[in-house]
Formats: sequence, structure tokens, C-alpha cells
Amino acid sequence: MKQTKYIMSGGIAFSEEKDLEKLSNYAKKGWILDRFALFGYKLKKAEPQEIQYSMDFQPDADEEYFMYFEEAGWSHTCSIGNEIHIFSASTKAKPIYSDNATIIEKYEREKKQMGKAALITLTISIMFLLFNIMSLYGWLPEYIGNISEILLIISIIILVFPGLPYIAYLYRLNKLRKF
Amino acid sequence: MPRNDSLEMGELTDTSYYILLSLVEAKHGYLIMKTIEVMTSNQFSIGPASMYTTIKKLLSAKLIKLCDEENDKKKTYVATDKGIELLKKEVQRRKEMIKHAEEILNRKGGL
Repeated sequence: MKQTKYIMSGGIAFSEEKDLEKLSNYAKKGWILDRFALFGYKLKKAEPQEIQYSMDFQPDADEEYFMYFEEAGWSHTCSIGNEIHIFSASTKAKPIYSDNATIIEKYEREKKQMGKAALITLTISIMFLLFNIMSLYGWLPEYIGNISEILLIISIIILVFPGLPYIAYLYRLNKLRKF
Repeated sequence: MPRNDSLEMGELTDTSYYILLSLVEAKHGYLIMKTIEVMTSNQFSIGPASMYTTIKKLLSAKLIKLCDEENDKKKTYVATDKGIELLKKEVQRRKEMIKHAEEILNRKGGL
């Protein structure tokens, strides 16, 4: 029997809670989270267990950070690039965020990261667009125009990846601030 | 961008209030959460992610500082004079808030 399993993520920015619940349901069936995988998670076979998962965004997390989680009964499961972290705990453990002010900061941090990436991609897209227009007017050779048109399309496709999450976080933060 | 950063408005969130209060005397970071639970008989407890975020925030606002007396790996924090000052102001503010509520509720037949 296979010892690992891959499950797809709905996209962290859009379905964080749903993803975590799915992971916790898999743990009940004896598949526990091992690590992040491309657009999803890698699970491994284990004893069925009742655990809950939580996700946090914390760039440059240090020893102290992980110590607080340990102290509160949350063990570190996996991370991507020391920025997105998943913790697991017994279903009795208290939530990792206990007030609204710090939850807002969690999503502010991630919104900022996504915003930075989106801005860089957007700048590149605009640059290719300008090259394209300049070659249309004959200021640049035609082949540069053709190449930049293709690159423009590619960069717009790439822009979706930080762009949509950025909008999702913006929307979530708006909802969080409404009370 | 609407910001509701209470620290910048000179007010403390419940979380910062209790962290600052438990750091009137120097303490290892990991002891803060436990201390607060004991102090409030488990009425108030701070999650680890909220704890880390708030500690960093209080540090950058210079309301608490690191004690460097020991070269222990576990960090020890203590409230600064500025922190104590703000804490006192906050206690005063909250006292006022309670007084207002008591005045009105007492007229309504007491608490």
C-alpha cells in the first residue's frame, strides 16, 4: 500500500480554513500532513488521530517564535520558505490567535508580501507593453515588438498568482475590520 | 488605508495590557503566557501567534525591552519606564470606563 498521498490546495489565500479542515479530516483517517507540495500538500500514512491544524504567516520566524507554539501545545509540522507555517495540536489546544488585532496583522503581513510580488510583475508587464507599443510606432524593430507581446501575455498570466491572493486578502481584511 | 493601530493611539489592546502587566517584573518570554493564565484564573489566555506578534510590537514601540544580563538562549523581557507609564494611563482609562458603566447601570437598578 502507498505510504504517501497528495492532496490539492484550494489556494491558501482563498481556502485556508477549508484546507486545514480537510487536513484534519485526513488525519482522522490515518493520513497526516508531512509537507507542502506544489499547489497542495503531501500526506503520509500514520495512526488515525484527532488533530487540528493552524496556519500562520511569519517571515523570518525565529527560535522564539516556534518556542511559543511548543509552549502552547502546538507542534510545528512544516513551512514554506520560513514564511508560511503549519502547526498541529490536539483538538483541546487553544487557537493560535486569540485577538482580532493580531489576526488583522497576520493577513496584513501576507497581503504586503503578495502586493510586493504583484507590483514587481505588474511593472514588468507594463515594460513589455511599452516595448510593444514602441515597435508598433516603428521606434523599435518589429521582432522586439513580437517578442514583447509574447512576454507581455506570459507576465500577465504570472501576475494572477500574487494578484488574486492580494485581492482575496484585501477583501478578508475589510471584513475583519468591520466591527 | 484604514488603520486601527491602538498602540499608536496610546491605547493598549487586552493582549498588550496583560503582556505588559506580566512584564512589570522581568520574565522569560515562554513564561508570559502561563503567568497570564494563572493571573486571570484562565479567564484570559493568549495564543502563541498573538503572543509573538504582540511581543514584537511592544518591543518596536519601546514599551518593553530585552534583558541581556544572561546569555541564556531563552529571551527575557521587562517593561520599560515608557511601558509602565502607558500601563498606568491605561489602568486609569479603564477605571473611568468602568465608572461610566457603573453610574448608568446603578441607575437601572444596580449591577
